[in-house]
Amino acid sequence: MSTQDESTGSRIGAFGREAVRNGWTRERFVLLGLLGLVVVSFGPPFQVYLFTEFLIIALFALAFNLLYGYTGLLSFGHALFYAGGSYGFAIVLRDAGPSIVDAVGSGLAPLVTFAVGGVVGVLVVVLLAVPVGWLSVRLEEIYFALITLAFGMLGYSVIIQDPGGLTNGTDGVIVLLGIAEVAGAEVMLGDRRTYYYLTATVVIASIYAIWRVVHSPFGTICKSIRESPDRAAALGVDVTRHRWMTFVISAAFVAVAGVLTAGLSSVASPYHSHWTTSAIPVVATVIGGATYFAGPVVGAFVYLYVRWGISRYPALEAYWEFFFGVMLIVVVLYFKQGAAGGLVLVHAWLLEARSEYERGGAGAVATFARESIAARLRAARERVTSSGDAPEGGTR
Amino acid sequence: MGATSVLPFIGVSDLVIGLSLGSRLFLIAVGLSLIFGVLGVLNFAHGAFYMVGAYVTLGVTNQVIGNFWIAVLVGGVAVGLLGVLIEVGTIRPLYGRIEDELDQLIVTFGFVLVIHEGVRFVWGSQPYSMGAPASLAFPVSIGGSTFGAYRLFVIGAAFVVMGGLWVFITRTYFGSLVRGTSSDREMASMLGVDVPRLYTAVFFLGSFLAGLGGALAAPLQSVSPALGDQVIIDAFIIVVIGGLGSLSGAFVGAMFVGILQSIGPQFIAAGHIAIPFLAMVLVLVFRPEGLFGGIGE
Repeated sequence: MSTQDESTGSRIGAFGREAVRNGWTRERFVLLGLLGLVVVSFGPPFQVYLFTEFLIIALFALAFNLLYGYTGLLSFGHALFYAGGSYGFAIVLRDAGPSIVDAVGSGLAPLVTFAVGGVVGVLVVVLLAVPVGWLSVRLEEIYFALITLAFGMLGYSVIIQDPGGLTNGTDGVIVLLGIAEVAGAEVMLGDRRTYYYLTATVVIASIYAIWRVVHSPFGTICKSIRESPDRAAALGVDVTRHRWMTFVISAAFVAVAGVLTAGLSSVASPYHSHWTTSAIPVVATVIGGATYFAGPVVGAFVYLYVRWGISRYPALEAYWEFFFGVMLIVVVLYFKQGAAGGLVLVHAWLLEARSEYERGGAGAVATFARESIAARLRAARERVTSSGDAPEGGTR
Repeated sequence: MGATSVLPFIGVSDLVIGLSLGSRLFLIAVGLSLIFGVLGVLNFAHGAFYMVGAYVTLGVTNQVIGNFWIAVLVGGVAVGLLGVLIEVGTIRPLYGRIEDELDQLIVTFGFVLVIHEGVRFVWGSQPYSMGAPASLAFPVSIGGSTFGAYRLFVIGAAFVVMGGLWVFITRTYFGSLVRGTSSDREMASMLGVDVPRLYTAVFFLGSFLAGLGGALAAPLQSVSPALGDQVIIDAFIIVVIGGLGSLSGAFVGAMFVGILQSIGPQFIAAGHIAIPFLAMVLVLVFRPEGLFGGIGE
């Protein structure tokens, strides 16, 4: 894809030409998406905050899905790495912040501190994920889920115990982002809009990096492992080593999300390491659709905005988790492809409807719609009625 | 205080409290283990079942009939029926899918959320407490320490359930069907065992035990919606240490975790939380099948 003389500048140029010239290509969608991100930043502060949270959860779920959707390993302990990023970042800000200010001088110091804290947070998590992953990926299915759950809760109990006064027990570590001076102007990093730009930049870069990982030979090997570990092994793939590497990469991106969430909520909290936090990417990914790259992003959007929508009805506000439980059950039972799969189906259906319209006008579309919906309903009814029969061919 | 002179840190009272904690945990873990051993389903909602058992018993005792023992039975059976509904409605359709184990885990996790919120809707978020039944509300003195008789009764109940299950699994016809199906489901099916019905029966039994555990534990602990989250993690630790599918493993694992939770805080502050998880990790790394064998052993 990339030749020697292709510089970044010319690649961006080609990207732009492609987007402008060739109709509704992927490039145009990407540009529209980036434009949308800028538009969102001018919304009311609460919406900006919510969207920032959405971006962070989306990254969390995407990184989780590297393991689940692409290699078939369900981790129930990713909160360990989420919290690891948070705490690494928060502790650097608290303990090394003043000396960084001394070294850099004022002005850009808060930005430098932020970057150093973020890098340290990710490095800490990578160091943690290497041994944890090495021990975990030897196990499969339920056992992998259980060992990651155990590691996650081990991390939780260590954080609660406050080793060496580092983690401040159940109160967590407060994060103060400070005010940077960029080109004479004072920029409050903790300001919602500024923090949104910061988050959006980091998240987009991370998503692009994950995209490159998934669409590389490495990602293809991951998918082959998901489809059939035995066949992948027969082709000469070192299955355990690849799972291990995927585990570490996944943990590193989860750490980025953890760093960002510590800055957003102004605290690295032990709650971030509890197993209920590990469940967030599971819920988002399953609802969004694990087999699509964008599935976790769609799922994170559904997760946060359904929650927000519910919170506007006082009678339902306290019970929002109920709806996610029902959604999880329904999606796993009947819509294995999740919301992203649903969108793809709708898109295909619309394309078909358009070609019907071109062929026979409005009447043909109506007939087509009636017939295809009836067929769907018939299939759904058959699935429900056949579910009471004897299970077939279960191999365990 | 004879025992305290032998083991200066561990008193009789710690041991008894540990055993009573372990007994409650055994009742939930053994059902979880049984269901996994036979159906291959790791039921994430099992802790929520335990919590429902506690709430139903509390509600029936305080508001409906006032008889604790009938309420315990009602609690156990209600949870058993809830389990049957869930098994038939949502777990059965998933047998035979390629990634069925993870799907089942996620579906049962969905029920954790649904049941948790359902309980909060009915009973609210505040913790409840109830007294021991009047017939067992007298103190008993052992080795210089005093305990409520009810606490000792719960320990005895766990031993009775363990013995009963052992007889049931190893000595009865139904038990042999269960063992046969758990080791080779297709062969059992070919020999004329109605596997789906057997699965539903086992799911009922496992859920009933979780409900019974919650029901019996209701007078010993505060009953709140957070209860399910706590006990499911303990139950996972126990069944992993003992071996998923092993009944005797569930018993030994439950007593180990119970005693650790009662004596642990005296040695390391909050260490009693970390040690069980450490044990779980070590077992999974070195002996994923657990320290004990399979069903009926």
